[in-house]
Amino acid sequence: MKAATTAILLALGFAGPAAAQTPTRPPARPAPRRVLPPLPAEPPISFRPYVMGAENAFAAVETFKAIFGKSYAPFFGGGLQVTFQGKYYVEVGASRFHQTGQRAFRANGENFGLGIPLTASIKPLEITAGYRFRPRSMPSVRPYLGAGLTSYAYDEKSNFDEPGEGLTTRGTGLVGVGGVEFRVHKYVGISADGVVAHVTGILGQAGISKDIGESNLGGISARIRLIIGR
Amino acid sequence: MSSSRVRLAIATCLAAAGLVLDVRGQTAVSPRQILDIGLSGVDAGVIGGESHTPGSAETRKRVRLARALSADRVNAAGIRYASGRVIVKFRDQTEMTRRLDAVRSASKNGAIAPRALHADFDIVTVDPADDPATVAQALDEDPGVEYAQVVHRMRALFVPNDPLYGTLQWNLPMINMEKAWDIQPQAGSSIIVAVLDTGVAYKNATLDVTLRSFTDDDGVRYPALGRQVIPYSAAPQLVASGQSSRIVAPHDFIWNDGRDALDFSGHGTHVSGTIGQLTNDGIGTAGVAFNVRLMPVKVLASEWDVIFGGSPDEGGTDDQIARGIRYAADNGAKILNMSLGGSGPPNCAALPNNPDCSPVIEAALRYAVGKGCFVVVAGGNEFEDTVPFYGKNPTSVIAEIASRIKGVVSVAAVDPAKGHAYYSSTGSYIELAAPGGSERGFSNSGFIRQQTFDFDRTDTFLLRPSQYIPPRFDIFGYIGYIGTSMATPHVAGVAAMIMQQGVTDPAAIEDLLERTAVDLGAPGRDDTFGFGLVDARAALRGLGLAR
Repeated sequence: MKAATTAILLALGFAGPAAAQTPTRPPARPAPRRVLPPLPAEPPISFRPYVMGAENAFAAVETFKAIFGKSYAPFFGGGLQVTFQGKYYVEVGASRFHQTGQRAFRANGENFGLGIPLTASIKPLEITAGYRFRPRSMPSVRPYLGAGLTSYAYDEKSNFDEPGEGLTTRGTGLVGVGGVEFRVHKYVGISADGVVAHVTGILGQAGISKDIGESNLGGISARIRLIIGR
Repeated sequence: MSSSRVRLAIATCLAAAGLVLDVRGQTAVSPRQILDIGLSGVDAGVIGGESHTPGSAETRKRVRLARALSADRVNAAGIRYASGRVIVKFRDQTEMTRRLDAVRSASKNGAIAPRALHADFDIVTVDPADDPATVAQALDEDPGVEYAQVVHRMRALFVPNDPLYGTLQWNLPMINMEKAWDIQPQAGSSIIVAVLDTGVAYKNATLDVTLRSFTDDDGVRYPALGRQVIPYSAAPQLVASGQSSRIVAPHDFIWNDGRDALDFSGHGTHVSGTIGQLTNDGIGTAGVAFNVRLMPVKVLASEWDVIFGGSPDEGGTDDQIARGIRYAADNGAKILNMSLGGSGPPNCAALPNNPDCSPVIEAALRYAVGKGCFVVVAGGNEFEDTVPFYGKNPTSVIAEIASRIKGVVSVAAVDPAKGHAYYSSTGSYIELAAPGGSERGFSNSGFIRQQTFDFDRTDTFLLRPSQYIPPRFDIFGYIGYIGTSMATPHVAGVAAMIMQQGVTDPAAIEDLLERTAVDLGAPGRDDTFGFGLVDARAALRGLGLAR
């Protein structure tokens, strides 16, 4: 016991003057181990309505350029996502494109507008399912991947149409989606994602799309969604 | 005294007064004076009782008279060309001394005439005894020459017909005009259409002309009527009172006196009516692009131009037509209507500089398209004709050139049942079809009717010499014609409306017309109808995204 007390005193005696004279490196100690808080429990099922805005780059670039002067356009819509244990989801969404351009034709690789107003609307209805990742290090960030089916309701009208000359039809296709949801509140999320759609059966059968040889009404969209729910 | 006689008397007095004012200070007397004093024309409505069917006595007489008046040479193929001159396009680097040497080696007394306005080629005058075809061939072989050709004579492509009452203007609904006017009620108001033809009855005037004697093909001599004062009026349904601004920069390449391009035939006035007859005014017939402005460019002579001494022959020569094309392109015309043509060899596509292929006209057409003009050319009326050398249904030379230039289209004719009009030439050069009319199977209802001269008052050379009197050009009626000449202005009018829609590229207009034509005959393009019957509404509407 005496020996131990002596050793402690000696150590303190050496340590005091040393600290007052020249600094010395403290002895290495192992870093403290970071302990992550447990992830909050996910509800077994959650219904999450959302609204969205998207900028869509059409695959039928020349067709849309000929009629609207550009090949990209906004879509607006909303839907309902249902998640299971926070990991799996199924969602149904609908959006709408509505724009007025002009009738046109193509000659020698160049587009010529004729000044006759043409209004087209596209109403995609999508059913997708996917998986939501849950990185433990960023609990408020939820990357996700999904795929599904889409059905486009297409409507085209022009000034001076005769009865039966407008076009109302529907085409189906596949859609793939990948993005990230940021949880900004317990009940609010904002997601940014990219959607690829391939839709046939509408373009390429008549009109300028046939002349140009473009048949895919889909494209690539960049979407922002506001999601309500856990 | 009938009203027409009263009018003639008044016109005579006005003309006499005008002459007194006009003659002072003049040193030379032209064979034709046109005084800008005259009365409005008389619209006599639809005129019946005149027979001008292809086989009629009047038509045969016209043909014989033209032959009798002609000073042209005719080659083995039956192609007519002017004597005493050839058209030569020297290469730019060929020096003048070298050019003169080439000319004199081809024709001893040959000379290069001063270059005319609106020409990028020269006229070489040759000894009248020399055959211009031989001279042209010799020059064409000279390395300093780009091309040389004889001066072909082209004709108006029409077959005038008996204008009885019947169903008028079946032709405009056939190309969907009513619905096209819905789309574009302005009907081409900002566009100038040049009508390269026999002239147009576009102004009130008084003619002071000398009627020379002539002998017809039967050897019957018609007396000289001497100096005459003849009334001339604008077609009331083409240039309404106070609308003279509708007429732009008329030019006469037959009399070569510039400002006037008066029609003494009726053909150019009829063609102009199809393009732009005044419409929706409750009078007479309609035109396709009824608000366009018209540029009369006279490149075809009529019988009266010959009798008045303004042209050695009826019709127009390559150089006159080429200059007319360039003039129109240089003076603001955006659509050129050429209801004219002539036969030639079938292989011009392979040998475009062949002198018989009218390279001078091809160069002018390419020039016009380069200036942004869309040109419409008659496809030819020779389907049933046999020409020595070239056989039956010979190639129509200018139409063949049209098929090789994007922005120039050749037009065939259909009858009222959308069938092949019996006279309409066929071949690989036909690009579009439009109503040209036919009396076969359709009688009086098969004509294309527009307002033009009452032939009873103008074609007095068809009467016996004892009845022969000066013509008058102030009585108008709705006269029926048939021919690819009549089909052509339908397309010109629709093209004017397309241009008014904002499409100014001639090649694009051709593409649009062909793309939207109603396919007739064999599926796809064929030699009878080309890409099909022009559809004005479809062309003006263009295409939607998916329909």
